[in-house]
Amino acid sequence: MIRITPEEIALLSKYIYGTTGIDLDQKKAYLFESRLGPLVEEQGFSSYSELYYKAKVDPALERKIIDAITTKETLFFRDNGPFELLQHKILPELIDRRTAKSSGLLPVPIRIWSAACSTGQEVFSIAMVLKELLPDMTKYNIKLLGTDISDTAIAQASYGRYNQFEIERGLSRDKLLKYFNPNGGSWKIKDEIRAMASFRRLNLMLPFAGFGKFDIVFCRNVGIYFSPEDRKKLFHKILDVLERDGYLIVGSTESLAGVCSRLEPKRHLRSIFYQLKE
Amino acid sequence: MNSLSILVVDDDPVTRLLLEKRLAKSGCRVETASSGDEAVNFVREGFFDVVLTDLMMPGGVDGIGVLEATKNRWNQTEVILITAYASVDSAVDAMKKGASDYLTKPINFEELMLRLQKINTLKSLTKDAEGLREAMDVTEKKAAQTIQDLEIMVSDLQHTCSAIKKILADENLETTERLALSLKLLSSLAG
Repeated sequence: MIRITPEEIALLSKYIYGTTGIDLDQKKAYLFESRLGPLVEEQGFSSYSELYYKAKVDPALERKIIDAITTKETLFFRDNGPFELLQHKILPELIDRRTAKSSGLLPVPIRIWSAACSTGQEVFSIAMVLKELLPDMTKYNIKLLGTDISDTAIAQASYGRYNQFEIERGLSRDKLLKYFNPNGGSWKIKDEIRAMASFRRLNLMLPFAGFGKFDIVFCRNVGIYFSPEDRKKLFHKILDVLERDGYLIVGSTESLAGVCSRLEPKRHLRSIFYQLKE
Repeated sequence: MNSLSILVVDDDPVTRLLLEKRLAKSGCRVETASSGDEAVNFVREGFFDVVLTDLMMPGGVDGIGVLEATKNRWNQTEVILITAYASVDSAVDAMKKGASDYLTKPINFEELMLRLQKINTLKSLTKDAEGLREAMDVTEKKAAQTIQDLEIMVSDLQHTCSAIKKILADENLETTERLALSLKLLSSLAG
C-alpha cells in the first residue's frame, strides 16, 4: 500500500473538504491510505499528489474519489428505535393531522427525506414500515426521497440489490422473504417497495435546489463527519425544508445541542426526535 | 483448516473415500453422502461449513439439487461443485445459483486445499467483523442512552433559563416578585 505524506494529507483534506464538507486531518492517514490507495494504484499514479492534480481537471476522477472516501456504513433498520418511533408515534400523529386538514378528495401527501441515504437501506426500511402500517396506500400520496453524495451508492440504492452480508444486517427473515426477491446470490427489493422511493445525488454542502417541504427528515450519522460550523449550517438548511409541524430524526448518538437552537428534542420510548420550537 | 466441517457428496465410492481421507488428514470434520437425496437429508439435519458435491449423480437429486437445498437452508454454507470437463457451462450456471466454486475431475487435491483455505480465511474474517460489529453496537447503544438523557436535560435547562430571562425582564412585576419567581424556577431544576 502506497504511503501518504503529511503534505499530501494537507492537500487532499482541503480538496475533500471543498468537495464534500467531510472534515479530515493528519490523524486520518490510515483512512486516506486504505480508501484512496487502491484508487492511486488502479489509475497507475505514482503518488497521492498526482491523484489530486489529475482529479482537479477530471470530474469523473473526482467522483471516484468521493465514492471512495465516503463511509458507506449502513444497515436495514439501523438502531431500530427510529423505525419504531415512525411506526408508533410519528406516522400515526402525522396522518391524523394531515387527514383532519384534508378535504378528503385528494390522497393525503406524506413526504419523507433520507439525507445521506448511502446504498438505500434506510429508505427501504422506511418504506417497509409504511407498508406494514398502511394497508391501503392509495389513500396517501407517499413521496420517499433518498439522497447521497456518492454516485455508486445512489446507483446501488436505485437498483435495490443487496448481497448476502448487507441483507443479513438488520433484516428479519420474514421481512426478507416478504419484501425481497432472490437474485443470483443476492436479494433485490420487490417492485412495489422500490416504486415508493426515488433517489438523487445530492451534496449536503450545496444549496438544496428544487426541494419542497418535507414532513419527516432522516439525517443520521452524516453530521458527525462535518466541522461544527458546517454541522450548524446543515441543520439550519434542513430546517428550511421541514414543515412547520415536521419531524427530524438524527443518529442515535448525535446531539443538536449548540447546533440548532430552533429545534426542540422530544422523547418517545427510547428514541429522540426533533421538532421546530413553538 | 481444522475447524471446517465438510459434507462430501458423490455416488462413486472411490472418490468419496479418497476425499474423506485427504480432508480428514488435513484436520477437517468430514461426513459423506452417496446420493443427492442423502445429502439433502444431512443438510436438513445439520450445518456444514462446506458442501463438496459431484454435479452429475444418478437418482432424483443431482448436484444442483444439493446446491439449492443447501442454500435454502443455510446461507453461510459454501458449496463447491465437482464437474467433468464437458459440463463447465452448467457449473457456471450453478455459480449463478450461489455455488462458490467448481473443480474439474480428476480432482487436484492441492487446488481443493487452496480453495478450502480461502474459505477458512473468509470465515475467520467474517467472525472478526461480527465481533467488532457486536462491540460497536453495545458501545453505541450505551452512548446513545447517555446522549439522549443529556439532550433532554439540556433542553429542559434551556427552557428554564428562557423562562427566567422573561420573568426578570417583566416590567409588570416587582423586582422582589421577579426574583422570587426566578428562584422558584431555579430550585425546581435541583429536582
